[in-house]
Formats: sequence, structure tokens, C-alpha cells
Amino acid sequence: MSTAPQMVASEIAQGSPAQAVATPPAAVGLAEAVEHWQEHTRGPEVALRGERLPAFKSQAMHWPVNPLYTPLDLEAVGFDYQRDVGFPGEYPFTRSVKPNGNRTALWTMAQVTGFGRGMDWAKRARFMLDQGLQGLILEHDLPTTNGYDSDDPIAEGEVGRAGLAIDSLEDLDLAFDLPFDRCKYLMSVCNAPQPVNLAMIIAALERKGVDPKQFVLHTVNGILIEYTCVGRYIYPPKDGLRIATDCFEYMIEHHPNWAPISIISAQIYAARGNPVQELAFAMTIAMQHIDALLERGLSIDKVAPYFHFVTGVDMDFFEAVCKLRAFRKIWARQMKERYGATRPESMKVRVMSSPGTMSLTLQQPLNNISRLAIMATACALGGVGETMTTPLHDEAHALPADEAIRVGAAIQHIVAHETGVADTIDPLAGSYYVETLTKQMEDAVMAEIDKIMAMGGALAAIERGYFQRELAREQCDRNRALEDGSRKLVGVNHLVLPEERREIPIFRLGDEVEADQIKRLHSLRSRRDSVAVENALAAVRTAAKAGTNLVPPCLVAVKALATHGEICNAMRDVFGVHHPDAQTAGV
Amino acid sequence: MTQFSNRRLRVLLAKLGMDTHTIGVTVIAHALRDAGFEVIFTGLKQTPEMVANTAVQEDVDVIGVSSLSAAHLKHLPKLAEFLRAKGAGDKLLIAGGVVPFEDIPLLEQAGVRKIFTMGTETRVIVEYLKTWWEAKLAAEARDA
Repeated sequence: MSTAPQMVASEIAQGSPAQAVATPPAAVGLAEAVEHWQEHTRGPEVALRGERLPAFKSQAMHWPVNPLYTPLDLEAVGFDYQRDVGFPGEYPFTRSVKPNGNRTALWTMAQVTGFGRGMDWAKRARFMLDQGLQGLILEHDLPTTNGYDSDDPIAEGEVGRAGLAIDSLEDLDLAFDLPFDRCKYLMSVCNAPQPVNLAMIIAALERKGVDPKQFVLHTVNGILIEYTCVGRYIYPPKDGLRIATDCFEYMIEHHPNWAPISIISAQIYAARGNPVQELAFAMTIAMQHIDALLERGLSIDKVAPYFHFVTGVDMDFFEAVCKLRAFRKIWARQMKERYGATRPESMKVRVMSSPGTMSLTLQQPLNNISRLAIMATACALGGVGETMTTPLHDEAHALPADEAIRVGAAIQHIVAHETGVADTIDPLAGSYYVETLTKQMEDAVMAEIDKIMAMGGALAAIERGYFQRELAREQCDRNRALEDGSRKLVGVNHLVLPEERREIPIFRLGDEVEADQIKRLHSLRSRRDSVAVENALAAVRTAAKAGTNLVPPCLVAVKALATHGEICNAMRDVFGVHHPDAQTAGV
Repeated sequence: MTQFSNRRLRVLLAKLGMDTHTIGVTVIAHALRDAGFEVIFTGLKQTPEMVANTAVQEDVDVIGVSSLSAAHLKHLPKLAEFLRAKGAGDKLLIAGGVVPFEDIPLLEQAGVRKIFTMGTETRVIVEYLKTWWEAKLAAEARDA
């Protein structure tokens, strides 16, 4: 046997000077190599031909984007694979909360529906169930969402327009004329009047003889988002939080298989919030809800697994992917480190992510199909979560046309079945840029969370208008960037069609829907037991004042056929209404 | 010059009914303030009568309504009517947001003086108001 190979091996092990010169240790060598590349290869090119932009920045965060990312960048942000990334289904869940990613099953593909009266909604819902959908999303119209009856003067022109009009239990009876053996899941998007909404749904299911255990009701209930940016609030923020906490507590006690809360952080994005704001505001809002539940004696491991988020992604592909990756890690760490959760279920964030409607344009609507495909791909690569909905390319115009609904569904199938992005778990992990940006995102979100907590948390931040003003600033900055051309948006300020006349075929619901709904409401008021209604409303007021759970008296009230607006008004009598000044509203 | 020339243009920005979309009105409010106008915001969930009352109480020159909920044909003519009934028909009533082209003549007929459709740049609105304000000040100076 020759001894030569052994000698070489021992020389390598000892790191002989001759070897060091030929192949220097990786870390030192790489820094020098990058410098060498900058000086000798990239530098001359830039010096000679310049760059197409004065500065490269990420779209929403405006963070500088380097020409090249290498392992040195990971070193600079202190990246540690085991600590920062780990494995799917294991803490800190950066790669996925699911042990086998999308390989066991794809995410659930859902669509939003809802308009008109009870029977109009039921017809549409039956159609969707016939198409094989197992879940429905119920959108109420604006008067219902804001706690008014259809005959309230402020409701004029809005009844049944943007969703289902609900005045009493009888409306929901009509809407729930559905094959519940095939409907496994119903998400209700109604938020501020939650105890009334919840009571109506429970009472209607009871009247239909549907076993609540065979069915999952998912309520939104993350009320603090409404004060942050959506505006569909009724009562002052602290009372809104108390109401939401009542509903959460009631649901986990009586219907533990239901889903009592969703923080719709997509609304923060829709209000032009950047990814760091979206995650930090949503996290602190969730923490405020958690604190309210813990104050009632519930444990973190009892409540945390119920928390669910809906996030919207924007067009900056890498910001979108890194936002979703950082989100899982931040939730896991906050639950474990801040709250001392011990169950893995408490540390797995449940997220539904979707391409964002606010990234679509009214101009040249077909372009939106390509935007949706790119955003849906980013959702899939970021580890989408449980569900994805696709908005529709003509959504900026009106109620979606049938073709847009078909294309919207097809986009998800194309991403899922034709691109391969769902076949391996978290395939962008390890990318020098993606890991650097994920870490950067996490650090920035944590700094913002600390800032909000120093103010006293999300409720205090809302009461003093911090969230609202921060979002207003982003809105104005973004508009300025579009107007001065520093941010390009195709069809809006780039590749603009000079002659484009943008017809807006607004969905015009016939006035007869509103008139008919009001007629029904008046008929109900004339034939119900008005003493029972008055007593039930008095009990709602008493519970509101006493601080006892609002859901049981609301259940009695809806069964007595008290109307949605009447019950909301009973709570208005006690809590008052929220009307922020311009300064607090950020306007 | 008359006493009027030092007055700053006072604008009331309003949201009517259930329409809670505030990005447009926020961007406009900040742009008008940057242009040196005084801006008051009604807050959300206002009826036409509430807005007309505020316009009179605050003695504004301009009422700007942001409408993104498709209820403009219900609300705006009513607001114009309330303003006239309260003797405030000389105030400039303008609107912006999602308004189909075919509705524009109907709204103009009802007393809405100008409608800015989606995609209008803020400087266009600022220029429009500056021109209107200068003409109004000149007219007031002539009459004084």
C-alpha cells in the first residue's frame, strides 16, 4: 500500500501552509472572494455602464436590496439553521407548521360569497356546494356588519348590496336552507355585532336540527383590526375587546370544535401597511386578545391554539415569502417565550394567506391575472397555511363575472399542479437573500412589537391613534411615489393606455331587494311578542352593564325575534359609540 | 386687498353612509393640508343631513365627499338638497371615488359641481380648488 494518500490526509488535517495557500479556509476566502468580485468583475461593469436605478429597494419596506447575497450575509445577520429555521412541523416552524408541508394534502381553496336576502344567499351557497366546495364564507351587508337594521335611515342604498342582509333570525332561517350534511365549514365575516351574529347562527342551526359538533363555525372576532383600519366598529375599543372576549369564551366552552377568532391582518396590508406593520400590529392585537382571555382565568395553552390569521400578500415576491416565513417563527417564539406556552399546538400559527386585492389595478384589468398568479406562487412558496382564496381580476370593478370566478379558481390549480412549488417543503429556505430578508423581517417586527408594548399594547396604540397615523403615512407615501413615478405600477403610471376609458359596471342590486327586506322586517315587528322582546333587550343591557357574558342574553333576544339592530342598540345604550377625531383617525 | 384674501380655504371632507374605505380621503386630506388648505373630517357613518349640518356649523367653503360604496346616487343628491335647504347652496360640493361615467351627469344635475374619478392625481384636485378659490375671493372683493 502506498503511504502517499495518508500523508496528504494528515497534511490537510494539520492545515499545512502549502494547502492554505491553495484552498484557503472558506470564511476568510469568501470575504476576499466577494471583495475581489466587486473590485474586478462587477465594479468595472457598473463604472462603465452604471445601473438602471439610482437605488434598489424592496417595494414596501424600502429596504436596500444588495446586488448579490452570499453566505457572508447570513453570517452578518447571525443566521443559525437549527435555531432560525429548523424542520417542518417543529419549533420554530419557520419551514412549515405541517410536518409534511403540502405533500399530504394541498391547502384548501376557498371563495367568498354573499349578497341579497336570505333566499338569494342560500341559492348561491347551494350552487357552490354543488360545485364540490365544502366550506362557505358568509359576508353580511354593511348595515348588518355595522349593527343597523335594514330600515335604519343610514342603511339606505346598502341593504343586501355588499353581502347578506340580516335583520332577524327569520332571515338566517332562509339563508340556512342548505344541505348541511355537505357543508362542513362556515366562516362568518361579521365582526362588531359578534354576540348577536353568533347567537343568530347558533339559534338558526338549532332550528334546523344541525348538530354543532358536525360543523365548524369560524367567526372573525378580531375586533381591534376594525379600529386600526377597517372602520366597521360600533362601540369604543375597550368595549369592543370585552365583547370579543365574551364571544371567544362562550364558544370555547360550548363549542370547543369551533374557531372563535381570526385576526384579519390582510386588512392592515389592504390599508397599505407594510409587512412589518402588518405582522407587528396583528401580533400585538392578538396579544391584547390573549391578555383579555388570560385575565378571565384561561390558560395560554387553552386559548393560543384557537388563534387564526388571514394575511394578504403584496406584489414584492420576496417580501411576501419572507413575511410568511417570519410570521410562523415570531408567533412560535412569542407564545413560548413571552407566554410560556408548552403545547406545540399553541406555537403553530394558523394562517390563511391570499393574493391581495389592493395589489390589483382598475386599469387594464387583464393584467391582474398575471399579478394574481405571481402572488399565489409567493403564497405557496411562503408556505401558504391552511387555506388560500384568490380574489378576482375584475374585483376592482364590480361584482365578479362568472369567467373571473373560473379564472380565479384556475390560478390556484395552476400553481398547485403545474409549477411544482407545492411538492417540496419550503424550497426557498437556504437562499442567501431569502434567509437574510426573513431574519431582517423578524428583527424589524420584534423591534416594532417592543415599541407598541412600551406604549401599553395594541389597545393603547389604537386609542392614541398610533396605528392609524402610521398607516395614513404609508398611504400618503405610496400615493406620492406613484404620482412622482418613483414606484412603477403597470397601467397606472407605466405603460399607460392613453385612450383607456374605464367603464365601471357597478353591481346594481334592484331597489326591490331593499324594499322587500324592509317589508319583511316591518311584518316581523308587527307579529312578534313585543313584551318578550323588551324584556330580552333589557337583559342584554343588564349584562352589558354588569360585565357578565353577553352571548346568553343575546341568544334569548334573537329567539324572541328581537332584531339585529335592536340588540346592537341595547349595547349602544350602555357602551356608547366610537367616533374618533381626525387626529386619532389619521385623516 | 380685502379682508377675504387672508382667509384660508376651509374644506370639509366627508364619508356618507356605511362606506368605511378611508385611504382615498386620507390621501386627499394630507395633500390638501400640504397645499395650505384647512381640512376638517366628518368621521365615518354620516347621513347627508349630518354632513350638511357640520358644513354650516364649521362654515366651510368646500364639501368633498369620498364615495366608494356605490351609494352615491342615493346620498349625494340628498346632501345637495340639505345644503340648499340650510342656505348653504353656494358652498362648493365636490365628490370623488368609484363613480361610473354614466352617473356623472346625474350627479352634476343634482348639484355636485365636480366629480374626480379613480386615478385622479392629488395635484389636479389642488389646482381645481385653488382656481375656484381665487375666483371666489376675486368675486367677494368686487362685491365688498
